[in-house]
Order: sequence, then structure tokens, then C-alpha cells
Amino acid sequence: MSLANLLLVLLSEICAVAGQLFFKRAMTLPDSATRAKFLAIFLAGIAVMALNFFLWLGLLSKFNLSFLYPFDALNRILLLLGASVFLREKMTPSLWLGVLLISGGVALVVAS
Amino acid sequence: MPTPAPRTGFASPYMQVAVSILLSATAQLLLKRGADESVHGATLGFAGLGSAWVWLGILAHIGSLTSWLYALRFIALNVAYNLTGLIQVLVPLSCWLLLGEKINPLRWLGITLVVLGVIVTARPLVRVEQKL
Repeated sequence: MSLANLLLVLLSEICAVAGQLFFKRAMTLPDSATRAKFLAIFLAGIAVMALNFFLWLGLLSKFNLSFLYPFDALNRILLLLGASVFLREKMTPSLWLGVLLISGGVALVVAS
Repeated sequence: MPTPAPRTGFASPYMQVAVSILLSATAQLLLKRGADESVHGATLGFAGLGSAWVWLGILAHIGSLTSWLYALRFIALNVAYNLTGLIQVLVPLSCWLLLGEKINPLRWLGITLVVLGVIVTARPLVRVEQKL
């Protein structure tokens, strides 16, 4: 995998995580927030998700799904880090253990 | 703060996470079936739009996203996202049961780890709900 393609995979993962963070933020805005603010954050989520979709289609045409799918495991860990940093969600030992088991399991399913 | 979540029934956010997970797995099976009969290995799957199965898959995806957004109003993203690990279990199990695909021992081990990870994530939630 060339450096350029590795960067594309990372960009795709970052878009997927950012999309979820935008969705969560949009759905938990305080009641005082304006409709325009909700739409701006929600559409930002849709935009990065769409970018991720097309990046992913491009990558799928270059690599096997079984090679790309383990990055889903990485994505789960990035998402928890993103939720801690940007949404200030509280991480607990059971969430860390859960995500490690799930990521490991996903990697094994793909490797099999 | 958002309004408190309904705790039971179809409006419970955990029920909606379950609905979202089921619809997402269903969408993948429908898209697989639709792609097999329409796309024939093209780089971009636009030909899939001619398949009714693909459109059912798209509907299932929209339903899944709707339930997911509702659940996010009430559940922390880090908890909800861990629960979606179950999709990685439901899809291979459905392929095994419905499409007759084989699951080898290493894959069974991976599926078991994902289930354990979801249980570890969900257990503290059950404890909190019991205290309420």
C-alpha cells in the first residue's frame, strides 16, 4: 500500500468518526439552539459521511474488502478517543475492555 | 439537557439501537443480494439502482439511520457505538443461516470476542437501570 493510499484510508476513517461526532452533537443541542445551528452541524455530518462513502468506494476498487475491513477495528478506537476529546464523554474501564474485545473480534473475523 | 428518555417499549433508546443494528444487518444482506444480480463487478455500483433489492437495502439503511439518530439523543456515543459491534456478529451468522456460507473456527472465535465486548459494554447499563 503506497503512502498516498494509506493517507486516503486514514482520511476515510477520520471522516467516519467526524460524521458520528457531528450527528451526536446535532442531536443533543440545547433547546435554546437555533434551527440554523442544528442544520449546519447535521449537514456537516452528512457531508463528511458522503465524502467517506466515495473515498471508501474508491478504495474498494483498489483493494480487497478483507484487507480494508480491519481498519473498521481501528475506527472503533478512534471514535471513542474522539468522543472523549470533542464531546467530553466519560470513558470507563468497561468501555475500553469492550472496544478492545470488539476490535480484536472484528480483526479475527476478517483474518479467518 | 434533553428530555429524559422513555425507559421501556419501542421508544426506549436501547430498543432503537437494537432496531438500528437489525436494520443495518438487513440492509447489508439486501445490498449483497441486489449487487449480485445487477452490478456484475463494475468499479462503481450505479447499476445497482436498477435492482429492487438494492432499493429495499437503501430503505433499510435510512430506517437504521433514523433509529440511530433518535438513540443518540439519549445515549452517549461511546456506549452506543460499542453496541453496534453486534452488526459484525449478525451479518456472518445470517450468511451462515440464510445463505449457507461456512464459518471456520477462527471466525467463531472472532464472533465470540465481539459478543463478549458488547456484553462488557452493556452490563454496567443494566446495573444502572436496575438501580433506578
